[in-house]
Amino acid sequence: MSVHDFWTPFSAGPFFNALLLGFTLGAIWLLAALGLTIIYGTMGVINMAHGEFIMVGAYFTFLMQTEAGIPWLACLPLAFIGVAIIGWIVERFLIRYLYARPLDTLLATWGVSLVLIQGVRLIFGGEPQYVAVQPHELTQSAELGFIHIPWLRIFILGATLALAAGTWAILYKTIYGIRVRAVMQNKEMAAAFGINAQQVYGMTFAYGAGLAGIAGAMFGGLKTVFPDMGLGYIVEAFLVVVTGGGHLFGSIYSGAILGELNSVFSYFTNSTFARFVLFVLIVVFLRFYPQGLFPEAKARR
Amino acid sequence: MTGQTQNLYHNKAGQWLCYIALFVVLALVPVFGAEPFQLNVYSRYAVYAMLAVSVSMVWGFGGILSLGQGIPYGLAAYCMGATMQMQYQTPDDPIPSFMLTNELTELPAVWEPFWSTSIGLILALGVPTLIMTIFGILMFQARLAGAFVAIMTLAILNAFYSMAQDLQPFTAGFNGISPPNPFTAFGVTIDPYSEMLYWINLGLLALVTLVSKYVLQSKFGTIVQATRDDAERVRFLGYSVSYFQVVVFVFAGLIATLAGIVWVMTVQYVSPTAFETPFSIYMVIWAAVGGRHSLFGAIVAAIVLNYLQTELADISEIWQKAWLLLLGGIFIAVVLLLPRGLAGLFEYLLGFIKIGRRQAAPGRIAAN
Amino acid sequence: MGVLLELKDLTKAYDTYAVVDRLNLTINEGELRCLIGPNGAGKTTTMDLITGRQKLTGGKVIFDGREINGLKENKIVRRGIGRKFQVPAVFKDLSVRENLEVAFNRNPDPFANMLMFFRRTDKQRFDEIVELIGLGERLGEKAGFLSHGETQWLEIGMVLTQNPRLLLMDEPTAGMTEQETLKTSEIFKRLKGAHTLVVVEHDMTFVRQIAETISVLHLGKLLAEGPMHQIENDPKVREVYLGAEGISDAA
Repeated sequence: MSVHDFWTPFSAGPFFNALLLGFTLGAIWLLAALGLTIIYGTMGVINMAHGEFIMVGAYFTFLMQTEAGIPWLACLPLAFIGVAIIGWIVERFLIRYLYARPLDTLLATWGVSLVLIQGVRLIFGGEPQYVAVQPHELTQSAELGFIHIPWLRIFILGATLALAAGTWAILYKTIYGIRVRAVMQNKEMAAAFGINAQQVYGMTFAYGAGLAGIAGAMFGGLKTVFPDMGLGYIVEAFLVVVTGGGHLFGSIYSGAILGELNSVFSYFTNSTFARFVLFVLIVVFLRFYPQGLFPEAKARR
Repeated sequence: MTGQTQNLYHNKAGQWLCYIALFVVLALVPVFGAEPFQLNVYSRYAVYAMLAVSVSMVWGFGGILSLGQGIPYGLAAYCMGATMQMQYQTPDDPIPSFMLTNELTELPAVWEPFWSTSIGLILALGVPTLIMTIFGILMFQARLAGAFVAIMTLAILNAFYSMAQDLQPFTAGFNGISPPNPFTAFGVTIDPYSEMLYWINLGLLALVTLVSKYVLQSKFGTIVQATRDDAERVRFLGYSVSYFQVVVFVFAGLIATLAGIVWVMTVQYVSPTAFETPFSIYMVIWAAVGGRHSLFGAIVAAIVLNYLQTELADISEIWQKAWLLLLGGIFIAVVLLLPRGLAGLFEYLLGFIKIGRRQAAPGRIAAN
Repeated sequence: MGVLLELKDLTKAYDTYAVVDRLNLTINEGELRCLIGPNGAGKTTTMDLITGRQKLTGGKVIFDGREINGLKENKIVRRGIGRKFQVPAVFKDLSVRENLEVAFNRNPDPFANMLMFFRRTDKQRFDEIVELIGLGERLGEKAGFLSHGETQWLEIGMVLTQNPRLLLMDEPTAGMTEQETLKTSEIFKRLKGAHTLVVVEHDMTFVRQIAETISVLHLGKLLAEGPMHQIENDPKVREVYLGAEGISDAA
């Protein structure tokens, strides 16, 4: 392997295509990170099982397609509901008892993820499954001059933006959102005003899990479905949350920036090396901006 | 109120006795004539126990939840794998076979130092230590803590995993490196299925435990535990918290490094699985189940859990899969109900045994 | 007696809003100074700026004739400034004895501390402090089991262990019962003279018990400074505290 093979020289057309692909990649990461952001931003919980919620969403979609013949697009909201219910159960019977020990929620949710991976493996086996994307046109690529991008990724980009906008609207334009933000800022105070913080947490966790469910339904169409697939998304999703500073807008920006950087690095080298360089860069970045791109002030008396 | 915090569990002499008893029992294993294959499996448990000690040090006592103990472990393992592979190669046949299949025509420069066993060992110790030091300085000077450290260690672990898998010509990729011959140093060949290897692994585990115990009982150990409780208070007592955290992070990394080195001696094999996320988290599970604040607990849990896993895997494949499901369940239960693990449960139970002179009843001073 | 701490035009501003606004303050060696002011006056922020917990946006902090702003927190501590936090911060999982021993920081190097096993702790000083804070019978207990007042005293003891030239105490009696407050004021009276103290307090009864000179902060500025009786009769201070009722009832 010579340097020449390793290093791709610059060429305008493919490079521009890589830039566009970067946005779709950023969207995939953001979609994976969206639920995580909401859960972390609202409850301070690091949900290590988020990748497995994505995986369960993918299997859910696979099941609905093969067993009930439901078209793919209709599976998206169903995956949301299905995984949201699982999320609600996890919050109700596990996370709820660990709010005083944030690091332990991380561990406990890892336990959940282990159970989910093994449970699915026992039921479905380890071999990859496939989700059929409909309409069929989505599996083809958009071709325009040097541009060559799968329609599905464009669809995911749009869907992610729509989901982010919807989440923003829920958080900032509804009574429920006001409650969530009140609990976020001061749990005791919110409780004093009659807001049931417990219920808000439960709903928020379920909503975040539901977003993972939709993500799973889409990622299942993008790649194969297998029990360990969550691990492939979780690290990037976490990095999006961390570099963004743990809130919605931060995640949107950092998703776009990280996806773009990864795509550009991948263009010049290869995807693994790009990943390595990007991760190291993030560590160095956090050295100087430990609170991420958009920090939120926190006080200690 | 349980103002009485000292019980039999905290008896220093008693603790040392427990450790001595544990190692005597472990040392007796070969005496009872275990089969060579079985002995090799037990030797592996010693490596797992070292990893649990490593996690216990950095997380249980240092309060740094590292999900990346596989980084030093894996780096050391790859250095050791390369060293052992080069012991097999000769100047006439300098290129390992997996490189030939990857169409390399000469030995890569990074592999050259491993011709020498001593340089190979120095690299196996030095490379992980250097990387952990740099990584630690970056993280702890930025005052990253808690979940952020967990995520960053996880990310870097993941990055190494994909590198190990992707750089096929250098690492043999997914297949991993299997050195054909056992490790030989100073003219002595260490047969993986021999009692000698078991003694080496167990001796190293004992050494690591002893040094860790010593470090914990020094003032350094108390300060590190203080940073776990309240890092800022420690900073405002005039200590550089990041310096202490880097030292304990690298110290625990060094334990994992040693574990990585002997692991390759034990199994004559190294692959990207060393960098796998679940493996690094299993280490945390062992330490958590045993008790994050107890080295003893971590060692015992690592051995017992892995023993159970091997035994169940022998029964059938279903059991092998069910085990991981069970392990997840055990882990959730421990985190939820026994945050101090089995050692904590033991401490609690010993609290019912009355000992010697009681200290002043709580509350008396407050009424002064 | 010389000047120990001098704040010159100390400023901390977020965008256009200044929490601490060109504050000038001089503390003499051996003095006990009370810092009072309504909520949001910038008292805790001032302490944060002195100890390096927050970065100042303007002005200077001069300690013992040398500028210390910009130094790391632990370096500032080692120059001789000890700080007690408002919410008591002790190491709950360590015993009371260990808490005090950690605080004894003659050598802050990690490797040097690996060779230390507490035998070299200054026994006499240790006993003195334990006697002062009155926790002699609870040394073996975990700090997490102490009552709120005891926790506050332990933290005071920890800061004292370092023998700082300047002690910053952020609301040392917050949340204490009347009896505990009384005992705290006794501790403070014993510290007077031997140490230079700056005490932030809300509890005016307590301030009256210990104070020599009082500085009143308001909206990040120094409003008034002087002995208790002068402050109590200062119309500006009266205005700030609950209209015309004066500070006597403000606690």
